Amino acid sequence: MSVPRGAVHAKWIVGKVIGTKMQKTAKVRVTRLVLDPYLLKFFNKRKTYFAHDPLQQCVVGDIVLLKALPERRSKHVKHELAEIVFKVGNVIDPITGKHCAGTRFLENLSDSENLTEADTTYLSEKLQELKVCSTDK
Amino acid sequence: MPMKGRFPIRRTLQYLSQGDVIFKSSVKVMTVNYNTAGELSEGARGKFVFFNIPQIQYKNPWVQIMLFRNMTPSPFLRFYLDNGEQVLVDVEDKTNKEITEHIKKILGKSKETLEKEERERKKLSHPATFGPKKYHLRECMCEIEGQVPCPAFVPLPKEMRGKYKAAMKNEA
Repeated sequence: MSVPRGAVHAKWIVGKVIGTKMQKTAKVRVTRLVLDPYLLKFFNKRKTYFAHDPLQQCVVGDIVLLKALPERRSKHVKHELAEIVFKVGNVIDPITGKHCAGTRFLENLSDSENLTEADTTYLSEKLQELKVCSTDK
Repeated sequence: MPMKGRFPIRRTLQYLSQGDVIFKSSVKVMTVNYNTAGELSEGARGKFVFFNIPQIQYKNPWVQIMLFRNMTPSPFLRFYLDNGEQVLVDVEDKTNKEITEHIKKILGKSKETLEKEERERKKLSHPATFGPKKYHLRECMCEIEGQVPCPAFVPLPKEMRGKYKAAMKNEA
């Protein structure tokens, strides 16, 4: 019997990263809709998978696409990171290609939004105060 | 007592089995991004997610469906296929019927493949045989039309009964 790619049932999977404390491995939570037999309603059922992430580029909260490895890498790691679908804090709308947050578009990432002049002066004053305190010591 | 909930008909087996979108075997993941406010995503959010997603998941139990809310301003569907391909479907300002028709056209199994699969399934089980309920339609020969009916319901004629046959043999 030939073993095609993926000795695992799930070949491609989309999930959310919940932990990156392991070296080069990301803990990913995957939810599937499962039908309750009595209520006949679909509920999310969670399952955690471990994925190999060689560049350690995942942050907790990313939405991630995993691909099944042809053979298991270790006892628990059977998938590897294929693509980061949505990076947390840095979501790119695939239709327009712009950065967005929630239901709003962000025009420019570097411009801090809604910071008026009063705010910037207040912040710079605070910074100066901190510098004064440190030299006093 | 009526069923509980807003549209409890969504939770009946008859409604679920009426879903006509059956994905090709190469579709593995379906991701739906929609917004909870706004008229433009009314078709996606209001109708599609509420009414059609249970039907789709019921008919395709091995496809992972994920719903994301209020992540991007525009609603869209995204399918991840087995060969690494991704299909992006813009859903802004579309009714749920249009969305299901579109999905059926691009990623659904055609009628011919469905009929072929049904025929193959029928071929596996021979309708004329009888045996355990798991493998056959009928358990005993007495259930088949044209055969001798079960003596539990209709007594056998005299000639077939054991005591008559033994009596005839004794006489002769």
